Amino acid sequence: MASQNMDPAAASSTTALKGSETGGSAARGSVSKRLQQELMTLMMSGDKGISAFPESDNLFKWIGTIDGAQGTVYEGLRYKLSLEFPSGYPYKAPRVMFITHCFHPNVDEHGFICLDILKEKWSALYDVRSILLSIQSLLGEPNNESPMNAGAAELWENKEAYKARLLATYKN
Amino acid sequence: MATRRWSLLPRKREDAGSYTSNPDSRPGVSEHRMAAPVNVQNPSKTWELSLYELHRTPQEAIMDGTEIAVSPRSLHSELMCPICLDMLKNTMTTKECLHRFCSECIVTALRSGNKECPTCRKKLVSKRSLRPDPNFDALISKIYPSRDEYEAHQDRVLERLSRLHNKQALSSSIEEGLKIQALVRPQRVRKPQQESDNTTFSGGEDNCDARSHLSQNSAPPLLHAGPLAEADAEAGAGPSRSKQAKVSDDSCPEGDRGSPTPSLPPLHQEGPGSEIELVFRPHPLLVNTQDYSQTRYVKTTANATVDHLSKYLALRIALEERQADGQTGGDVAEERGGEGGGAGGGGVSLQNISEKQYTIYITTTGGQFSTLNGSLTLELVNEKYWKLSKPLELYYAPTKEPLQQ
Repeated sequence: MASQNMDPAAASSTTALKGSETGGSAARGSVSKRLQQELMTLMMSGDKGISAFPESDNLFKWIGTIDGAQGTVYEGLRYKLSLEFPSGYPYKAPRVMFITHCFHPNVDEHGFICLDILKEKWSALYDVRSILLSIQSLLGEPNNESPMNAGAAELWENKEAYKARLLATYKN
Repeated sequence: MATRRWSLLPRKREDAGSYTSNPDSRPGVSEHRMAAPVNVQNPSKTWELSLYELHRTPQEAIMDGTEIAVSPRSLHSELMCPICLDMLKNTMTTKECLHRFCSECIVTALRSGNKECPTCRKKLVSKRSLRPDPNFDALISKIYPSRDEYEAHQDRVLERLSRLHNKQALSSSIEEGLKIQALVRPQRVRKPQQESDNTTFSGGEDNCDARSHLSQNSAPPLLHAGPLAEADAEAGAGPSRSKQAKVSDDSCPEGDRGSPTPSLPPLHQEGPGSEIELVFRPHPLLVNTQDYSQTRYVKTTANATVDHLSKYLALRIALEERQADGQTGGDVAEERGGEGGGAGGGGVSLQNISEKQYTIYITTTGGQFSTLNGSLTLELVNEKYWKLSKPLELYYAPTKEPLQQ
């Protein structure tokens, strides 16, 4: 997690929050308004096991963290994700990917996540919080019907071996 | 007498079962039963009342002026559009499932996504599956008669929030503040000595107080270039390259403490020092603007020398490079090879910081840049070269090889 406390200015070629939106329309303003509302709610709710914050001064790219839920093989492991919000948010789903390598039937080696609510089942009512909670529960309850990582799906029933493989591939 | 009546008042189950077989209970047959509407029902329709209906008592109307408090937050979640998370505006309700959205939000949602209710996924064919809900709008305007005010309040809250959590915004506000300070205070060199002369004329006690306060603060001249001062600035503004170097006299009276840098010749202890503010820009001709675009605002004691300033600058830039280096993978430090001494990697040594790395210039009347000698005090520079009643403006550029000073 070396880069968790990143220098906001170093990574960003974008200008300040307000400044970067002048080019956009009123729509972009309403997107950032919604994102600010979400940020406020997220910080006040104090959910355990999930968190998210804009990566830099760019409100349209966040870094989220998910702690593996208790009682699952992912317990005790922390995962970092990136969330990129399109200008059509919340009507369009954000692009969510694992940054931390995640051994899971529905996550591929690049961190892509196969989750219906991030694709065709997206609804404007979902927000960062519900996305992270959904992914957190996906960790413990994979959909082994259509795996992106077939190896993980095959291994899933064998908890011992799965856990060993998980820990061997986990890089924080 | 076809009127069908029933009551939700508590009653015995037995009645329901018994009266149907009782011919007297039929409406019109026995008028006196009308007074007790419980039994007045069309015998062909028996009403099966739920347990709740059997036991509920009427809600008493509140008539005594009792006030009911509802927290704005819990109310807001009811009056909020789940799409924009703001208060409903031109409420639209889905005809089938009765979920509410702002007109604009739901129309955009239907246009850009699945034709279903965002809340419950019930099929929404088109806009015709929606209807406006002016009653709800009226309710909101009743609860929030000054909605604009409310929205302005929301904006303020959000602004405060982003100010707290947006380092960029913070650093730019610091920048603004420093600029304003520099503008508002044209007289940047304060001379306690002279002021004390003045007080003999004016005799004002306030002046005396102000002066004694000043001279307490103005011991030896120091440029707060040490890591301590650095930490102060960093904590506030974040390690942004565009951030101003705020150096204030009272932030860290012993800035060099703990600094690993070799010390400069002892500073002149010439009486109570005064303060000087200066605007510090990259040399427009010698410095590639991409490298050092930032203007620095520095405040220090007037008997600091040009060398002090130069060394401060070198340390400042080395630290900034180290910051940038740690996060962007070293490309910045690479470009400026050598300046920061061992700049690169995580643990940069600040041992090599020297006042020789940068040369300080000032513009003379003809628009020429002339090099300042390192041993000059800033006070002297100000008096000899500047003479204007606004902050001293100096320029810096990396020293050209070989080191001249």
